[in-house]
Amino acid sequence: MSDTLLIDLHVQYIRNLGNNKDDLSYHMTAHRLINGVYWGLTALCIMKHKEALDAQETIEYVMSCWDDEAGAFGPHPRHDAHILSTLSAIQILATHDALARLNATRVVDFVLNLQQPSGVFAGDAFGETDTRFLYCAVSALSLLGALDRLDRERTVSYLASCRNFDGGFGRVAGAESHAAQVWVCTAALAILDRLDVVDVPTLGWWLAERQLPNGGLNGRPEKLEDVCYSHWVLSSMAILNKLTWIDSSALTRFILSAQDPEGGGIADRPGDMADIFHTCFGVAGLSLLGYPGLDDLDPVYCMPASLIERMGLKTGWKALPRREG
Amino acid sequence: MALKLPERPEWTDVVPVPQYENIQPLAPIFYSPEYKDATDYFRGIVKTGEKSPRVLELTETIIRLNPAHYSAWQYRYETLITISASLELELVLTNALTKASPKTYQVWHHRRLLQTALCDPVPELAFNEEVLKADAKNYHTWSHRQWLLVHFDQAELWAGELSFVERLLAEDVRNNSAWHHRFFISFETGNTTRTRDDADEAVRRELAFAKERIALAPNNASAWNYLRGAAFAELYVVDAVEVGTDDVLDLENPAPSEGAELPCAAAIEFMADVHEARGKEGLSEAVKYWRSLAHTHDTIRKSYWEFRIRDAVANAGAT
Repeated sequence: MSDTLLIDLHVQYIRNLGNNKDDLSYHMTAHRLINGVYWGLTALCIMKHKEALDAQETIEYVMSCWDDEAGAFGPHPRHDAHILSTLSAIQILATHDALARLNATRVVDFVLNLQQPSGVFAGDAFGETDTRFLYCAVSALSLLGALDRLDRERTVSYLASCRNFDGGFGRVAGAESHAAQVWVCTAALAILDRLDVVDVPTLGWWLAERQLPNGGLNGRPEKLEDVCYSHWVLSSMAILNKLTWIDSSALTRFILSAQDPEGGGIADRPGDMADIFHTCFGVAGLSLLGYPGLDDLDPVYCMPASLIERMGLKTGWKALPRREG
Repeated sequence: MALKLPERPEWTDVVPVPQYENIQPLAPIFYSPEYKDATDYFRGIVKTGEKSPRVLELTETIIRLNPAHYSAWQYRYETLITISASLELELVLTNALTKASPKTYQVWHHRRLLQTALCDPVPELAFNEEVLKADAKNYHTWSHRQWLLVHFDQAELWAGELSFVERLLAEDVRNNSAWHHRFFISFETGNTTRTRDDADEAVRRELAFAKERIALAPNNASAWNYLRGAAFAELYVVDAVEVGTDDVLDLENPAPSEGAELPCAAAIEFMADVHEARGKEGLSEAVKYWRSLAHTHDTIRKSYWEFRIRDAVANAGAT
């Protein structure tokens, strides 16, 4: 059990992921690999150790994921393009100031072609639809400076149709409110400057209700706490300027208790095995809570705040003030 | 498969395409030999565009080893259609795969594609209920159920849902997914078979139902959220003040049951809202309730309750 963030250990953990030949962990399988690199890189940036993963190697890896037939990125070389991997690719390249490496015209076309008549986005030609993909589309277009090409009205009207009676948002219209879907919908609305679609008092309260007596956050009522909700819930609350509504010391203690004090990394809850996904979101949550020694995270893009500000994309979110360490 | 793919004579015409050829990966994946062979051969048949029965065999191998391989699912579906394979048989296989990996997005999307073609919702709803028996809160399962109801939009399908949800809530009255589904079937506008009278009757029925469940087990966030949602359902405009003081929402009935854990934070919150809605006269009562939450009954959300006090005081001062 640790009461401080073991930064050096986590940096080492992320560095080692590329070297571990026995690691068959779910989040490093080929169908999420580029996402894994994005999670690792983002965590490193927040912990002020961006240099721990070689920039050139990372950029070349991203470019090797280019699917020339589709005009977008897959999760690993020789895999079909998907909107999830395309966003990760854009985020990684932006973080390394290498957006010029990609063919923006083709990527923008790929993204726009995935929009369905209802306004939701599919992830790829398979046709699965989800508000996660809608967020990926909006974020990707914004980062590429092509938001003006989006059919905003159709997109916003679909988001409005996903708003539930409890103020939350679901995966598709009619689906149950879930914190991860709340984040993608709220963040998409923030980018589109349409937070008026959100019932802020009701949703803010629903989000605050996610906190359990042990300090951790769950994703919907009566479910277990999980460190990744430190991102989905907290980022949503930061976007709505309601971060003061939860007990931040209790949550901080919870996240820190989920660290692996030997091997590094953060797990979904104390005692479980660490993975790159929860490491990223645990560190992201701590940054929003003002944990000392970390860099600011932009909760709309889940990328370094200074980068998003430089790109002229900052919106009106509010994190807790950074404490002295 | 007894023999490995490269050793089987019927596959010798296919040129497998390896994962890492002239590529230096940042973080190489080390696969099992069986998975490596299957995906190498998969890349090979995709390259030639082959659509044949052996492609079904190959893609089945891949998705059994890695249910998240969306390209394999996609190519499989295209193959099924191209060679006019039996979708009924495919559904049988998909049922087994669904039970094996119920949290995989791809298997549910495959079901959706199959149902769009097969149009057989009644057994699909029954299968859906079976999957929920193993995990009553599986998000994909519920979402698929909601899609079925709206897509087919048949009165008989909608009609069975209320008793279905009651069965699930009887097993676990705190199942938020079941409460959400109940709201969906009671108020969802995608049900074109419903009349205006049905809608009005739904509000009355649902308010009564929520209150009964709350009386049985008051510490149930889902039920309280539901109560508020039903009271303000867009189909039936209810005045906010009426909800607190009218017999429509008679707060004395039903009374909490014997085993109920009291006091209940959600009830205190509700009372505070009722008093707040009365304006200046209700303010001090509301503040008393919020204070009790901040200091005693829901201390983890102290900041939120203090915000409610400040906010209500400011609004009362402004009027």
